[in-house]
Amino acid sequence: MFLRTSSRKGVKCKMNDTGAMIEVVDLHKRFKDLHVLKGISTSVKQSEVVAVMGPSGSGKSTFLRCMNRLEEPSSGHIYIEGIDILAPYIDINRVRTEIGMVFQSFNLFPHLTSIENIKLAPMSVRKISDQEATERGMALLDKVGLVDKAKVYPEQLSGGQQQRVAIARALAMQPQIMFFDEPTSALDPEMIGEVLDVMRNMAKEGMTMMVVSHEMGFIKEAADRILFLVDGLIVEDGTPDQIFNYSKNERTLEFLSKII
Amino acid sequence: MAQPASSQTNISRLSDLKDKVGHVPFIRRNSFVYGSLSLLVIYALFLLPSKGSPDTVDLGRIVIFCLLLLVWAFIIFTDELKPEKLKTIMVFSIFIIAGWLYYRYSTARWGEMGFLFFNLEMVQKAWPTLVEGFWTTLLLAICAAIMSTVIGLLLAIFRSFNNPVLNFFIIAYVDFFRAMPIIVLMMLIYYALPFMGIRLSAIVSGILALGLNSSAYVSEIFRAGFLSIKKGQIEASSALGLNPIQTMRFVILPQAFRVVIPPLVGNYVASAKDTALASSISIIELLKAGLSQKSLLANPSPLIFVTALYLVMFVPLTRFSGYLEKRMKESQRQVRL
Repeated sequence: MFLRTSSRKGVKCKMNDTGAMIEVVDLHKRFKDLHVLKGISTSVKQSEVVAVMGPSGSGKSTFLRCMNRLEEPSSGHIYIEGIDILAPYIDINRVRTEIGMVFQSFNLFPHLTSIENIKLAPMSVRKISDQEATERGMALLDKVGLVDKAKVYPEQLSGGQQQRVAIARALAMQPQIMFFDEPTSALDPEMIGEVLDVMRNMAKEGMTMMVVSHEMGFIKEAADRILFLVDGLIVEDGTPDQIFNYSKNERTLEFLSKII
Repeated sequence: MAQPASSQTNISRLSDLKDKVGHVPFIRRNSFVYGSLSLLVIYALFLLPSKGSPDTVDLGRIVIFCLLLLVWAFIIFTDELKPEKLKTIMVFSIFIIAGWLYYRYSTARWGEMGFLFFNLEMVQKAWPTLVEGFWTTLLLAICAAIMSTVIGLLLAIFRSFNNPVLNFFIIAYVDFFRAMPIIVLMMLIYYALPFMGIRLSAIVSGILALGLNSSAYVSEIFRAGFLSIKKGQIEASSALGLNPIQTMRFVILPQAFRVVIPPLVGNYVASAKDTALASSISIIELLKAGLSQKSLLANPSPLIFVTALYLVMFVPLTRFSGYLEKRMKESQRQVRL
């Protein structure tokens, strides 16, 4: 729905009505002579939590980053709510407001306090008032359990706290989809739990999520599906139970044996 | 096993040094050398000619005295065994001796020093012109700073678009104005442009030349500031749906300004010092005011006063920019930890 307003001058959007939230068709990404994604096709339903796993260099992060065009895909189609976001008339910034993204390295704005980090995008992009943004921001900080850190700068927060503020910042735009690019890889072990708890709650509330992660416990419990990527291709696609217990794929078994 | 401590310390000084540095030059081993050199210096001191302008032979004696003094000082200064206090005293006494020698043999009219150089009456006479010059200098400095900041910032922003054609012109601009001496630029603008039908007043030419020159440096400073911002910041900002202009305004600029302020202040100070060059195109700024009053009153006091004023203005400013740089480095260290 939201994207139709972004089509300019009455140009009709290419529609792809499969009812899926995200539909990826034959996605390729090349960095000069390096072929990272070699034709990925999948779809994600509303409220589905999809974990993306795979050995390093398999293209997990690139896949995720292609889907909000932080990396420009080389070819293929990405439909979000049925609308082709690679079409030339699409206002990508409008699309991105509907997709929250959480990074491995948090990427909080160091010159702003926690609450200012959260308020920035709603106020500048959505043009909502300072007061309203502050109220919403405090509610989100409450959700991630950091109300007392509202006026604190990122450098005074621990890694886990920074990542939770980053999640609140992404949620402040009220996105329909959340992408997590290895959200716990840069954290000390004792801080991983607090971030995963927040993510678990979001999954329960019905957020559509794609998570690049190797946190087995979290994936088993919260994920509806696992995409297993090897060398830019999806080699397995199934429920955690199927993949962890009944997989016959050699590459998957080898990888799982290493991380468990 | 228990050897008497005294026999150890007896050999100590020299043999320790030998162990440390291997070979000890003969000249340091013998206090006789110190003694005889000191005596030579004192002998040369007595041979110094009497007061007044020296002739060639006298000049030779003075030079020999100075050389001996320096050799003596050098030998003491490079001796690790001599106490630091002695070396400090020595350095000060050399300055004092040099001053004394200059006082003794120069042709300066020492008696008229107060009248010539520190004549408050003359400064008072020149005062209105000097004040006017001071305001002109301030005007030049501030206008050039504003102009260079605006142009420099715009250039740096355009440069960050990474458009090859735009980049070519910006690089050419920066190269041109960095290579061009300011005084040449001033002359060009003030004396050559009128032939192309562009007549600018002296003060505008001065501001333009200073501002253009400084803008090249400022744009490079801002560019470095932009480059210092991590890619993740821009990615996070785009992922939130901020467009490039919003990203620049809310994320890049506020962070870049913090990095940029110390070198920027340094650049403003340098540019403010360059206002003295404007005297070459008949702008009555501080230096020109001092010079003209010096000629008019046939007394260098106004010029000395202007020199002092420059120092009073710029010593705190250079100190301030140094302080900013130091604080910047400290805060960066804190963030890394």
